[in-house]
Amino acid sequence: MAAEASIAGREPQDLDPASAARLSSWLRNYRTLPGVPDELFDVMRRPRPDWLRFLAGFAEYNHDEARNRFALATRHIRDTGVSYRIYGEENERSWPLNPLPLILGHREWAQIAEGVEQRANLIEAVLQDVYGEARLVESGALPAAALTGSPDFIRALRGVKPPGGRQMQLYAADLGRGPDGRWWVLDDRTQAPSGAGYALENRLVLSRAYPALYNAMNVQRLAPFFDGMRQGLAASASRSDPRICLLTPGPFSETYFEQAHLARYLGFLLVEGADLVARDGKVYVRTIAGLKRADVILRRVDADFLDPLELNGASRLGTPGILEAIRSGGVAMVNMPGAGVMESKALLGFLPKLCRQVLGEGLKLPNIATWWCGQAAEADRVDHNLDSLVIGPAFNGLGDGGPPKARLVADLSAAERDDLRGRLRDRPGDYVGQEVVRLSTMPVLRDNRLQAAPFVLRVYAAWTPDGFRIMPGGFCRTSDRTDARAISMGDEACTADVWVIDDQPVERVTLLAGKDDVTVRRKLGHLPSRAADNLYWLGRYIERAEATLRLARSLCTSLMASESAIHNSGETLAGLQKLLIDWGALDETALGRGSLEAARDTLRDQQAYGSVIYLVRAARRTAASMRERLSADFWALLLNLETELAETDRTPNSEAEALQQIESALQILAALSGLAQENMIRVAGWRFLDMGRRIERGINACRMARTFATETSTTDDLDLLLDLVDSQITYRSRYLVGLALVPVRDMVVLDCFNTRSLAFQVQALKDHLDALPALLDDGMLEEPDRILLPLATEVETSDAVHLDDAKILQFERTLMRLSGAIADRYFLQGAMAVPTIKLASMG
Amino acid sequence: MIYSINHRTTYVYEKPVGFARCVLRLTPATTATQTLLDSRVTVTPEPSTTLVRVGPFGERTQTIVIDKAHSELVITGTSRVDVGAGKNHDRDASAPWEAVRAQAFGTRALGTDGPAAYLYPTRRTPVVTAITDYARTSFTPGRPVITAAADLMERMYADFTYDPETTTVSTPAAIAFEARSGVCQDFAHIMISGLHGLGLAAAYVSGYLRTNPPPGKPRLAGADATHAWVSVWCGEVDGWIGFDPTNAVLTRQDHIVLAVGRDYSDVAPIDGIVLSPGSQTLKVEVDVVPDSEMVPEVMHHSMRVDAE
Repeated sequence: MAAEASIAGREPQDLDPASAARLSSWLRNYRTLPGVPDELFDVMRRPRPDWLRFLAGFAEYNHDEARNRFALATRHIRDTGVSYRIYGEENERSWPLNPLPLILGHREWAQIAEGVEQRANLIEAVLQDVYGEARLVESGALPAAALTGSPDFIRALRGVKPPGGRQMQLYAADLGRGPDGRWWVLDDRTQAPSGAGYALENRLVLSRAYPALYNAMNVQRLAPFFDGMRQGLAASASRSDPRICLLTPGPFSETYFEQAHLARYLGFLLVEGADLVARDGKVYVRTIAGLKRADVILRRVDADFLDPLELNGASRLGTPGILEAIRSGGVAMVNMPGAGVMESKALLGFLPKLCRQVLGEGLKLPNIATWWCGQAAEADRVDHNLDSLVIGPAFNGLGDGGPPKARLVADLSAAERDDLRGRLRDRPGDYVGQEVVRLSTMPVLRDNRLQAAPFVLRVYAAWTPDGFRIMPGGFCRTSDRTDARAISMGDEACTADVWVIDDQPVERVTLLAGKDDVTVRRKLGHLPSRAADNLYWLGRYIERAEATLRLARSLCTSLMASESAIHNSGETLAGLQKLLIDWGALDETALGRGSLEAARDTLRDQQAYGSVIYLVRAARRTAASMRERLSADFWALLLNLETELAETDRTPNSEAEALQQIESALQILAALSGLAQENMIRVAGWRFLDMGRRIERGINACRMARTFATETSTTDDLDLLLDLVDSQITYRSRYLVGLALVPVRDMVVLDCFNTRSLAFQVQALKDHLDALPALLDDGMLEEPDRILLPLATEVETSDAVHLDDAKILQFERTLMRLSGAIADRYFLQGAMAVPTIKLASMG
Repeated sequence: MIYSINHRTTYVYEKPVGFARCVLRLTPATTATQTLLDSRVTVTPEPSTTLVRVGPFGERTQTIVIDKAHSELVITGTSRVDVGAGKNHDRDASAPWEAVRAQAFGTRALGTDGPAAYLYPTRRTPVVTAITDYARTSFTPGRPVITAAADLMERMYADFTYDPETTTVSTPAAIAFEARSGVCQDFAHIMISGLHGLGLAAAYVSGYLRTNPPPGKPRLAGADATHAWVSVWCGEVDGWIGFDPTNAVLTRQDHIVLAVGRDYSDVAPIDGIVLSPGSQTLKVEVDVVPDSEMVPEVMHHSMRVDAE
């Protein structure tokens, strides 16, 4: 593209007239907010040089091109399902991203980085003291009650040495630029900072949208930060080459996508609490090869929910006994449970003094002035200045009767104000008073105009063997409103990439480790049982969806007035409908109705548990809970398929339309199979996906043979069956005599060369089981083998002449038994994994 | 006063249990007013590992793991405890309650002897406006804290009905308060909620209460029960004082402390997670036998055996 080539290094004065006009119109019409600093303009309304350079380059794309480039790049967001969830909502929302990044010069950045690093070190030191000797509390620098109000003050871990040596390895600070132009810390994130994965994703989008501009701007790269973080995590383990797990609350967490994305990017195992077992002071992952040690757990589960035995007994997200394993030093938990105590607003006001006392220097980044009302003098001060302050909870999670959310007192009604005064009198320690902060603004692009939007910048620090490393960039959230005291993802906030501009060309970073540091390996450890379970069911859902589509196709073709319309005999049609009813794709009442309605319901009836849309949704949900294991393409195809079937304006009105939709859905499914066959690495995960398909296909082949290839079957039936198993052409080239029961049965059930026959599935299943790890090294057969081997022998040695319905039914049932045995042997939900119950208690 | 205590819990499972992990809090505390002389906890079947340590609130715990199949789990705690008479507090000379509140929020003690651990709401003792307002009646401005807390306790005794049928082990304090009815656990949670609502530090105490057989009748084995009451932090001078809202007494030599925490969840004698496909039944038998006989006096005692 012409513009793309010319952009690099272009100064504003060199712009062609059209671009120059665009740039000057943007700048001329940009309105900043009174009394609030802005990132683009300095106080004299002069654009800052790095911003100007960026906007000049950006102006070289004409309006349409800029929009198209961004739209194309953000399609990636939708296609890969980058999303977040608002708490309580079932559906995820797609990711809102600004076309313009936040741009920060390297001098500015150096100050931020230094301040965040200092703060990370300070917080680590305070945490070490709080969970150690508590000298800061004894000396009066930190009131005990300013700690104990936090649900993240984990008393059970006082006096416990963190297995990795550190209380906090990951830290994030929410920053805003105050009216004086300085950066202020609004909030500390010390429990399990979120958003770093989104920052990665935002960078990916913008660097793809404007590659030349991105390269010309010397934007500092993010990869070295993540590499450092990984090294830091590995170093906290007690053995080399540790297994690192990312502990997630599960697919219903607000930021599940981000967790899955990070796990995949960093090469960690994504696990839920139920995937872990604490035994003998260590933690293990349940895998298909038995229990395997978890050395380091990067947690996204709040401390209180980690261990139902010692902490919140109602938690379903945790692992009983995991605290004991931490105490024994058997697992490094990052951050240590309890590190979240430093997120309390109650502590903000103490940090300036603590910094002097602990580090012997002042805070490089100030925090918002905050007064904890648990102290008499501070409470008085807050009381006297009440109307000019924001009053909010001193701690997170004080429960139902706790403080209302932070409000500016001046905004309260007289009654609310009285109520607040009463609460402050009763339980002063639950509250903090904070001065009002107005955030600075940055330009965002709306309708080809620049608009000033308040923003908050989250900056990340990760501990590495060389100390804390700061991510050069971050996670920026902008607000639509002009008063941005609190920006959360729920409130129509948008995000922006953050570009830290170096003053010299940025080296192309490769994450290649030194030659001697890496041991070649071809498998990424053992597959967790839950992932195996999900993959297996994903395979089954997809295969069942395909089979159902084939049935629906036959319904449609039977109606079409073409010469080859053959399955028009009433009995064949009835057989077809009965099968769909048995599979739950149609309800009983559909029998009498027309075939178009039946096809439509089969495709789109959201209530029927066997309809194609239902199966595709089930597949998508299953896939969603292990996104880190599926390629972006796979996920995109699955979403596509769902959209195609769910859109109401595409409900087919004729057989031809229905047929077209079915064909298109079948094509997507074929692409999915192709991806699984060609693009999935052939380790255990692929085997479970394929086993699911094979079992389902084998069972379906039997079922269809029992419906359409019986002693009483007509040639219509046999013809339909060949359609359903996609074997028309093969049959006709093999048998010139026409349709007959025995050869059709042979082809559908016993022919090991036909990829849709039972025999072929059985052989594939055998290969899979042979390749999977054994639980015990005693050379004995495991239960799935005991079931499959006799079946394989029997299928192999049977001949079609003696094959009857009873025999086929027996094959089908054996496959169902095999499915159960596979679940018992490899999955969490099998019979071996009994449910846990709490012991009853007495009062 | 020296007591011998036998506290036996039996779980019977419908189907065999293959794995159990439990935390046991069955070893009485040594406190300012009581001394543990001797204690033993036995478990059948024999645990594969037993780990003895001190829990977050100073309670002595055993963490046990049983990894062989069993259909019955029997846990017995046997102890001898010497309970002293304790200090005599001059109620009316105690500090004004508002001053005690300020002392509590300003304390430099992070440990469980100090008030900071017991100032904030928990799941079982949330701040509930109705309960706070009920408590406020006793806490008039400037009133000495012990007098006020005793008044609250006595009002609860008068206003509440002891009735094991109205609540279960998981009934929220607010519900029991609305019903003005419950057992010792409910009364303790309600009183703690009320005190928290006013910014005072209060703890949940689990333990035993000496009961006496009816005159002329022999003591029945297993007829006693566990009990629960409230410990209130009454300022730097008076420290922690036990209030028993079930019986309207300040605790003295009849109350034997087993464990102290923020609410029932912190001190449950047995907390456990078992792998089990079936249901369970639970039986608890407690004997509290004083070494010497005392003048009989009738008291309520709390007893509840229900499965959650």
